[in-house]
Amino acid sequence: MRIPAPSATRQNLLCAAALGLIVLSAPFPRFQAIPHVMLVLALAPRPGAPLVGALWALVAGWTLEGSLRLYPHLGGTAWADLSMTLLAGWMAGRWPLEGLKGWLARLASLSLLHGLLVHGAVRLATAPHPWGWGWFWALVSAPLWGWFAWRLLHAGAGSGRR
Amino acid sequence: MAIRAVRWGWSRTGWQRLALILLWLGHGVWVLLGPNPGRHWTSLADAMSRPSQSLASRWETWRASRREAARDLAETRAENARLSAELARLRTQAAQEAPRWTEADTAVRLLGLKQQIPLDLKAARVIFSTRPATFGGLILDRGQDLGLVPDQGVLVPEGIVGRLWSVSGTQSKVLPADAPNASVAVMLMRSRAMGVLQGLGSGRTLIRYVSNQEVVQVGEAVLTSGLDRVFPRGLLVGYVAEVAQGDLELRVIVNLSAPLDRLSAVLLLPPQPPLEVQPPFVAPDQKPPRKRVTP
Repeated sequence: MRIPAPSATRQNLLCAAALGLIVLSAPFPRFQAIPHVMLVLALAPRPGAPLVGALWALVAGWTLEGSLRLYPHLGGTAWADLSMTLLAGWMAGRWPLEGLKGWLARLASLSLLHGLLVHGAVRLATAPHPWGWGWFWALVSAPLWGWFAWRLLHAGAGSGRR
Repeated sequence: MAIRAVRWGWSRTGWQRLALILLWLGHGVWVLLGPNPGRHWTSLADAMSRPSQSLASRWETWRASRREAARDLAETRAENARLSAELARLRTQAAQEAPRWTEADTAVRLLGLKQQIPLDLKAARVIFSTRPATFGGLILDRGQDLGLVPDQGVLVPEGIVGRLWSVSGTQSKVLPADAPNASVAVMLMRSRAMGVLQGLGSGRTLIRYVSNQEVVQVGEAVLTSGLDRVFPRGLLVGYVAEVAQGDLELRVIVNLSAPLDRLSAVLLLPPQPPLEVQPPFVAPDQKPPRKRVTP
């Protein structure tokens, strides 16, 4: 059974809230990666309307780069976010959601791919640099923020187990 | 069949897709350009201009080498002109000094001959030659002032020249050995046959009174015999040029070894020299004793 898509207003509000969380969690980069990944992979993608999600992803990427002092401010994160949001939106339209487990599995795999793409894009824009631990915490906590995003997006649409 | 009108222009979805593509590509290009976008343009411009730079470098190298070659050529020409002038100057100097060198060479050779003959030899310079004329001779620059008297023998390192014919106060005349009226007592080196040398002119002479029984070879050396008391025994006269059988005696033609036409200085023997002149003692080469080797 297909899960109906959330309303655009709710999705935009949730994205704005996640963006604020990214700004506020700038002093804690490991924690900052979680709302960032959640915004890019879970909240921003919307099948059939990729442009809005892409803009949210770009804003999220530039916000993350701008909020960190020792991070290269060259748009590598924003470009990776844009690409991953488009990919996630395309996957949501190609393979519609049918339950929480599939959602979590898709988020985990996209989270891993997002970490690789962000690192590669930043490396492409600047130079070889050390890996951080944000991707790891985002991947480990994927069930938690995935479930939370599921509840936020589809709160009025049932538990998904019907 | 109804023909549907085709709507020209872009739909909302198309515009959104175009905006997405441009957004993605623009961001990607921005990421690829990196922190210093100008360096890509710089490297691209460098790559594009590399062929022209290479050509310009080669052109400049070629021009520099040509300029260097032209300068080398000019320097070489100047050096060549300077060396040519130097060579001409040296040739002129050599030509000017050639007589002096020849005279010095002759003096050295005369000095060597003087050291070999243990007699009181005197040197004189030939100042004139009348040999082409009939009964001509050589005029020397010394005469009675040097104590010269007629019938003194005259010689050069190549051989005998003749004898003094007449002596004046400061000059003297030499009768060459090839003069028709000249005679010198000679002997053949191998056969030891003796005779009298008579002149035939032009450096050729004839030996008289050599028996038909004597064996004379062409090329044999002819020496003075000393019997005329003008020359001591053993001075070189010339070499046998022709040998012919005569009625009573051999007809032996001798070419004088002394270049009578090219003399510039001569030595004069003392009057009435001894018959035999002992040459200065020269130690023979000390050969190492042959070792007897036991086989």
